[in-house]
Amino acid sequence: MDFTFVVQSLLNGLLIGGVYSLVAIGLTVIFGVMKVINFAHGALMMLGMYASYWIATLLQINVYATIAFVLPLLFIVGVLFQKVLIAPIMDAPEHNQLFLTLGVMLFLQNMAVYLWTPDFRILRTPYANINYYIGDISISLVHILAFAMAIVFSGILYIILHKTDLGRAIRASSEEPVGAKLMGINIKRIYWITFGIGAACAGVAGTAITPFFPIYPYVGDIFVLTAYVVVVLGGMGSVFGAFVGGLIIGMADSIGAMILPGSMKSVLSFVIFIMILLFKPTGLFGRQNA
Amino acid sequence: MATPKSNKHADKKITRRDFIKNTALATAAAATVGTIGFPNVLRGAAPPEIPIGHIHPLSGFLAFDGQEMRKAVMWGVQEVNAAGGIKALDGAKLKLIDADSEGKPEKAISEVERLEREGVAAITGCYQSAVTIVATQIAEKLQVPFVVGVASAEAITERGFKYTFRVQPSSSMFVGHALDYMRQLAEKTGTPLETIAYIHENTQFGGTLADFTEKMAGEYGFKVIKRVEYSVKAPDVSTEVGKIKAAGADLVFASGYFGDGVRVARALSSMRVNPKAIVGIAQGGFSHPKFVSELGGEVTQGIMDVNFQYDPNSPKAAKTLAGFEAEYGSKMSPSMVYAYSPVGVIADAMERAGSADRDAVRAALVKTSFTDHILPQGPIEFDATGQNINANPLLMQILSGKVEIVWPEKYKTAGIVFPFKR
Repeated sequence: MDFTFVVQSLLNGLLIGGVYSLVAIGLTVIFGVMKVINFAHGALMMLGMYASYWIATLLQINVYATIAFVLPLLFIVGVLFQKVLIAPIMDAPEHNQLFLTLGVMLFLQNMAVYLWTPDFRILRTPYANINYYIGDISISLVHILAFAMAIVFSGILYIILHKTDLGRAIRASSEEPVGAKLMGINIKRIYWITFGIGAACAGVAGTAITPFFPIYPYVGDIFVLTAYVVVVLGGMGSVFGAFVGGLIIGMADSIGAMILPGSMKSVLSFVIFIMILLFKPTGLFGRQNA
Repeated sequence: MATPKSNKHADKKITRRDFIKNTALATAAAATVGTIGFPNVLRGAAPPEIPIGHIHPLSGFLAFDGQEMRKAVMWGVQEVNAAGGIKALDGAKLKLIDADSEGKPEKAISEVERLEREGVAAITGCYQSAVTIVATQIAEKLQVPFVVGVASAEAITERGFKYTFRVQPSSSMFVGHALDYMRQLAEKTGTPLETIAYIHENTQFGGTLADFTEKMAGEYGFKVIKRVEYSVKAPDVSTEVGKIKAAGADLVFASGYFGDGVRVARALSSMRVNPKAIVGIAQGGFSHPKFVSELGGEVTQGIMDVNFQYDPNSPKAAKTLAGFEAEYGSKMSPSMVYAYSPVGVIADAMERAGSADRDAVRAALVKTSFTDHILPQGPIEFDATGQNINANPLLMQILSGKVEIVWPEKYKTAGIVFPFKR
C-alpha cells in the first residue's frame, strides 16, 4: 500500500464524511429535541436534491445558489411535517412516531417516482469535472465544496444553538420541556422550528451532493443508514458530535475499504456502531442523561 | 374492552345465516373462475387475450432500470399485437401483466406465484441475476415457461431446468467474447496487452463475470492481477478505484449497474486512471445513451463496453428502435433490446405451438429457431440447457459523445480508438 493511495483514500473519506455529517446533524437535532427518530430524513434529502436540480435547470442558475431556495423550502416542509403529522401524536408511544415517519418516507419516495419517474438525473455543471492535483493525489472541487458547506452550516447551526435566544430556547425545550414551558417558552413553536431546521439540513446536504451524485427517488437511502451510525457515534442530539462522527465514519469506510477484503468495507463502521452502543451508549459527545 | 367484544358476538349472531350464504357464493365464484377463467388459457381455446408476465425491479433501488425494462417489454407486446397478435390463435392479443421484484430475490417468489395464479402463458425478466435465479426456480416448480431477457449468471441455465430459457449471452459467453475481442485488438494494433484489473459490484452479477474472467483469462493470454468489489449502495468508491489504479494493469474491466457505474467512471476520471482501455463487461451504464449525454464527454470519452446491442445492419431493428423512440420519447438502451427480445420469442413459440398452453409453449420454445429478431446474431436457438447459443455481445466505445459499435468489424458504426489516451 503506497503512501499516495492511503492519503488519497483518507482524503476522499474525509470529504464524503462531511456529507454524512450534514445529513446526520439534521437527524440529531430532531432527535435531540423531540426524541423522534426521523426515518423520512433520507427522503427529505432527496427532496432537497430534486429541488436543487429543478431550480438549477429551470432557472439556469448556479447549483450552489439554489441553497437560497432549498433552505427555506425544506424548512417549511419540515415545519409542516411537525405541525400536521408529528405534533398530534407527540404524546403517543415513541414507536408510533417512528412508524409515522417511515410512512412519510415511503410516501415521499413514491411521490417522487410518480412525479419525476425513477430515472437517474445528473445535473451537468462545469464544476463537476474540475480536479486539483497534489502530486498524484486528486481532489475534486465539488467534494471540497460539499465539505465546505458541511463546515459552514454546522458552524452556523452550532452558533444558533449556543449563542442565540432561539437556540437557548431549543436547548431548554430539549433538556426540560416542562420547565421550559413554565418559563414561557412556546414549546410547540420550538418544535416546529427544530423540525424545520432538521429538514433544512437534509435539504442542504442534498444540494451539496447534487453536482456529483445521480439523483433518483431512493437516493436518500444510501446516505441515511450511515447517518444513523453517525448520530449514535456522535451522541444522540449533539451537533458537534454528529459533525465529528460523520468525518470519523467517512474515514472508517475508507480504511475499511483499504484493509478489509471486498465487500467487508462497511464492517468497520458498523463495528464502531455496535461498540458505541454497548460500551458508551451516550456516544462521543452525548449528554449523560440523554 | 367490553364493548368491542360484545359487538363481535353480535356480529356473529347476525351473520350466521349470511355466513352460509356467503360461503356458498364464494365457493361458486371460485368454481366459476376455476373452470371458466383459468383453464380457458390452458385448454388453448382461442382466448381473446393471452396474459404473459414480466418481473422486474419496478420500484426500489433499481427502479430506474426496472422501469426501462418494462417499457421495452411493453413495446415488444405492442409490436406483436399491432402485427395482428398470435395468428395461430385467431389473432389473440398478448396482455402484459406487471410484477415488481423491488430488486429483492425473496419478493420474486410471491410475484411469480401471483403471475401463475393470474394464468400467464409465460414469464420474462428479471434484470438481476440474483432475482432471476429465484424466479426461474419457482417458475420451474409451477411449470411456467420462463424466457430470461436480461440476467447473466451462469447458474440460471445450469440447473437442468426444463422451463428456463435465456436470450442474452451467459456470463461465460460475455467474458469469452470480451477477452477474444481484446486479444484481437491487441494483435491488430500491435499493442501488448497482458494484465487486467477488475472492479465490480458485489452481487452474483458482477461476481460471476469476474470469476469467469479470472478463470478464462489464461486461454486468451491475459492475467487478472487485481479484483476489487464494491456495494452498489456505497456512496463513495474512490478507495476501490485507488486500488485499481495502484495495480497499474493494461486493461481495467468494470461490471455494475447505472448509478454505481457513474461513480466508478467519475472516480476513474478524477483520479487519472489511464489504462490502455477501460472496458465495461455488461456494465449497465457504460453504453447507455443517457450515461453519455448526462455525464459529459470529459468523463466518458473513450470508455468501452462489451455489452448487448441491437444489430445496426438490421432493418427490423431500425424500425423497432424508431417506433420505441416515437412512443416513449427516449432511446432504447442495449439492455432494453434484450428485455424486448423474449416477447418475440414467446409469441413465435405460441404461433408454432398453435396454443397458449404452458407445456405446449415450452415444447415449442425448445425447438425455437427465431430469425425475426433485432440482435446481432444468427437465429435465436436454445441448447439443451435453454441458453441462446448464438448470442453475441458487441464492443462499444464512447466517441465524441456517442455510443458507437466498434467491434467486430461486421457490425461497426465507427472506427475504434485504441489504445485510448485521455
